[in-house]
Amino acid sequence: MQLAKYVKFRTEKFGSVLFETRSEKVFTLNPTATAVVREIEAGGDEAAIMARLKDRFEDRDGAIEREVAALIADLRQRGLVED
Amino acid sequence: MSQLATDMTAGAEDLAAPLYIAWQITNECNFACLHCIEESGPGKAFADELDATKVFDVLGQLMDHEVPYLSFSGGEPMLHPRFFDMVEHVCTRGAQLKIETNGHYLSPENCARMKELGVKAVQVSLDGASGLTFNRMRVRGDFDRTADGLRNLHAAGVPIEINFSPASFNVNEIGAVVDLAHDLGAYSFYTGRTMYTGNAVKAWRHLELSDEQYDRFFDVLRAKAEEYRGRMRVHFHEAGLLEELRYRLRHPAALLIVLPNGLVKLINALPFVCGDFRLQSLDEIWANFRRAWRDPRVAQFVEDLAADPGKTRTLHQWVYL
Repeated sequence: MQLAKYVKFRTEKFGSVLFETRSEKVFTLNPTATAVVREIEAGGDEAAIMARLKDRFEDRDGAIEREVAALIADLRQRGLVED
Repeated sequence: MSQLATDMTAGAEDLAAPLYIAWQITNECNFACLHCIEESGPGKAFADELDATKVFDVLGQLMDHEVPYLSFSGGEPMLHPRFFDMVEHVCTRGAQLKIETNGHYLSPENCARMKELGVKAVQVSLDGASGLTFNRMRVRGDFDRTADGLRNLHAAGVPIEINFSPASFNVNEIGAVVDLAHDLGAYSFYTGRTMYTGNAVKAWRHLELSDEQYDRFFDVLRAKAEEYRGRMRVHFHEAGLLEELRYRLRHPAALLIVLPNGLVKLINALPFVCGDFRLQSLDEIWANFRRAWRDPRVAQFVEDLAADPGKTRTLHQWVYL
């Protein structure tokens, strides 16, 4: 999984922004979502990204996994990431 | 929507740097279009356009601040003597770049070079579906040469965006122009209302459309957007300038308009200058840009437009904030 071809990512004080340059749409991300996108940038498939994030955030009750899955589904549906 | 991301218009206030730089790299142009808002044309380069040292200094600042998206326009940007060096600088530093050109210099070699350098898209104005209308709007232009340029872009694999400016003599071709854009390989088609400013002020009697003509124009576009759904994005800005500016007062886009001499405009449709790359750094200009949107003179100018829409004829009488 990776950011889509026309998507740019930049860190900001509040988290980060994703800029889809074809539609010129901007998405602001909070720090948690920023961490997810950084892992997407680091590479690997969804399972590998999920494993790293669960490890990092000590996902004891599965909440992190659900949130990350929802975010990735959202990013995919908006065409911001691709496999 | 997950709880992690928020969809929003680019809010300038909280960002460390602009997200988009629209840089008019020269005012020189081989065309002299009836509606050109920049009043570009042959011999119309500014006397004080940035020299190469300053151009690459500014580009370096933009890349160091991770500005993700730039466009080069003009005038005709391909007439800039360092055009391809500038393109290479931006693309190799990882930003995405759109070129806005009249299409006359889109030779197979130039298109191949753009593809090789990784240009994100090339936007070409196609103000007619035939030489009769195109050449009337785009004075000194040649429809066939522009169409050939678009074919060269498509053959090279460079993504194409088409722009269209309506006038009384080309508005009835809108459906045909959308079809032509698709046939030429465009992925995006954009249009809106032609602005009463720049060269258009003098040519307005040839350009002006009635409300009824605009209604029919947008009806055709709605149908074409549906027809090409999934194949080519047909989008258009139906709102008038006043509505757009009132929205921007509340939500300034994270966009700097850079003129060929390094002056920075608040937005193209207002006369306000909020920076000067000859004298200021990007950080200073960005801070002033954000302050300038709150300057009462900006809101006042927008409200004055409500009373006198013809005030757009004064957009080149720059006001420094």
